[in-house]
Amino acid sequence: MGNFDLLMTGFGIAITPMHLMLMVCGVLMGLVVGVLPGLGAPNGVSLLIPLTFTLDPTSAIILLSSMYWGALFGGSTTSILFNIPGEPSSVATTFDGYPMAQSGQSTRALTLAFMSAGIGALMGVIVITLLAGWASNFALRFGAPEYFAVYFLAFAAFIGMGSASPAKTMVSLTVGLLLASVGMDTVTGEIRLTYGFSELLGGISFLVVVIGLFGIGELLATVQEGLRFRGVASRIHLRDVFRTIAELPRYWATTLRSGLIGIWMGITPGGPTAASFMSYGIARQASRKGAAFGTGRPEGIVAPETADHSAGTCAMLPMLALGVPSSATAAVMMGGLMIWGLTPGPMLFATKPDFVWGLIASMYISNIVGVILVLATVPLFAAMLRIPFAIIGPMIVAICFVGAYTVGSSTFDLWLVLLFGLVGYLFNKLDYPLAPLVLAMVLGHKAENAFHQSMLLSDGSLGIFFANPLVSSIMVVGLALLIVPKLLQLGARLRRPATVE
Amino acid sequence: MTVRRFHAEAATAAATGILGLIAIYGAAELGFGWEDHGPQAGYFPFYVGLLLIGASLWNLIRAFVAYRAATAEEEPFLPREQLMRICKFSAALLIFVAATLMLGIYVGTAGYITWSAWRQGGYRLPVSLGIGLGFSVALYLIFETLFRIPLLKGPIEPLLGIY
Repeated sequence: MGNFDLLMTGFGIAITPMHLMLMVCGVLMGLVVGVLPGLGAPNGVSLLIPLTFTLDPTSAIILLSSMYWGALFGGSTTSILFNIPGEPSSVATTFDGYPMAQSGQSTRALTLAFMSAGIGALMGVIVITLLAGWASNFALRFGAPEYFAVYFLAFAAFIGMGSASPAKTMVSLTVGLLLASVGMDTVTGEIRLTYGFSELLGGISFLVVVIGLFGIGELLATVQEGLRFRGVASRIHLRDVFRTIAELPRYWATTLRSGLIGIWMGITPGGPTAASFMSYGIARQASRKGAAFGTGRPEGIVAPETADHSAGTCAMLPMLALGVPSSATAAVMMGGLMIWGLTPGPMLFATKPDFVWGLIASMYISNIVGVILVLATVPLFAAMLRIPFAIIGPMIVAICFVGAYTVGSSTFDLWLVLLFGLVGYLFNKLDYPLAPLVLAMVLGHKAENAFHQSMLLSDGSLGIFFANPLVSSIMVVGLALLIVPKLLQLGARLRRPATVE
Repeated sequence: MTVRRFHAEAATAAATGILGLIAIYGAAELGFGWEDHGPQAGYFPFYVGLLLIGASLWNLIRAFVAYRAATAEEEPFLPREQLMRICKFSAALLIFVAATLMLGIYVGTAGYITWSAWRQGGYRLPVSLGIGLGFSVALYLIFETLFRIPLLKGPIEPLLGIY
């Protein structure tokens, strides 16, 4: 069967009343977590995972991924109306979105954002549809050394391509790897790094860590700033919506370029945040009237939003095909897959086509559902932000702790959430990236197992990672991603002493 | 009292470095060498710990370099006002967790929200109490009734006939 037939089967699975309802619920919940400070996509999904144990995996992933799209849309709403990015990836949207809304064109700004977000997402899904079969066939040739090489590539890409300092990314990664190795070692069966604490025997759940790092951490950052919401009018005028949609084709070049940037950054572990900033920067450079950016230029909204969403959707492809997520949220979802008893990777396409293609088909539908729902509910969610922080803050805290408790019904996890909340706040403040930590926690076991198996195969020689063309080319790409970007930066800095971010 | 960026950077680098040392110590106890059938259990954590220490040292050195290069009028990393807000909020979190462990999630949550709405939000006590209790009831309905996931309960719930 070709990809198209498989996709049609997928639509058959996705378009059922139950799944459509899950999409609507997921998008709405995603909007809530996207709008509220302290609840973002990664920890929103973490909070929801324990509730999905009773669903079958296909329904569960549809719910979780819909929540992710909803969170991406919700993040843009607050960026434009309140100048508060609900998600890190919608920071770039505030630059032109808020000024445009301030000048009385909030409907236009929101419509531009949501429509280009929807288009970006659809571009991403189309790429996934086209590449899915190929990627999984490619990955079927993988053995243990190749898998380790791919994990190495993912880690290397974070260090080399991330916007943070490489040493800080390294700290984040290694802390994640160490946290993942606490508890029972699956290869040797030994208990590791528990230091006599019986609470650590079962290991540290990445869900608890994510809830602490992203939930409490982000909330602390909000508290530090002392919350003052100053929103602009949030009525949606239907005539403005259609007028803006008619205006969209004018920005086809920006849309296409931003979509491609997003697709690239989504498949490689650049992530939506980096994609939206990069796309905004390039749009500003490409524009002839460069000075007007930051004052409410439509391209300044179209560019980051398209890239953000195409990167967000494309992050699902490496997660499904290789088992290597390229964003924090995708990493959490992959952890969910493993909890449901599915192994992400090429075999998933062979053994569970319903799951994979149901998910891909649902991505088309739920993004369209998302655009419609978000336009319809803007006033509602804008009103939610007017609830005083003294009430909504403790509620978010309570939801985070309740969510952490439901992961393993362990009271020790509550302390962990508190601890990782402080860590998350500090790391954020000091520009340590958090996504590598989550990725390392989810991939830690798999990377170690792959390494262990490779070492057994080769009798302890690292030469196995360069033993055949496939594995050596992955390793070389990994090494190149590790070294080349920083070398280029260094070169640029030497040539032009005053570097601009 | 304000926190300067250098202090925060150096303290974080030191903390991550110590974490690396702890990991190496734990890995060394397990053995990080090579056996007949492959690497020992501590092999992976040992080298990851080494990398962590290396990266932490690098961050420490960078923090020092930035500190030496910094001019006198550096913008404070955490001004006094912000530091106080963080400390207050963290203290509230700490009390909330301690109370939750003793009294259960429902009572802890209701108490925390009530206190915050009353003392910080400026609502009257009955209104605040209503918000707090309402939220706890909503939690109960969603988790215990809808999803059948039991949450942590303290000594008070059994008195009301809830198990």
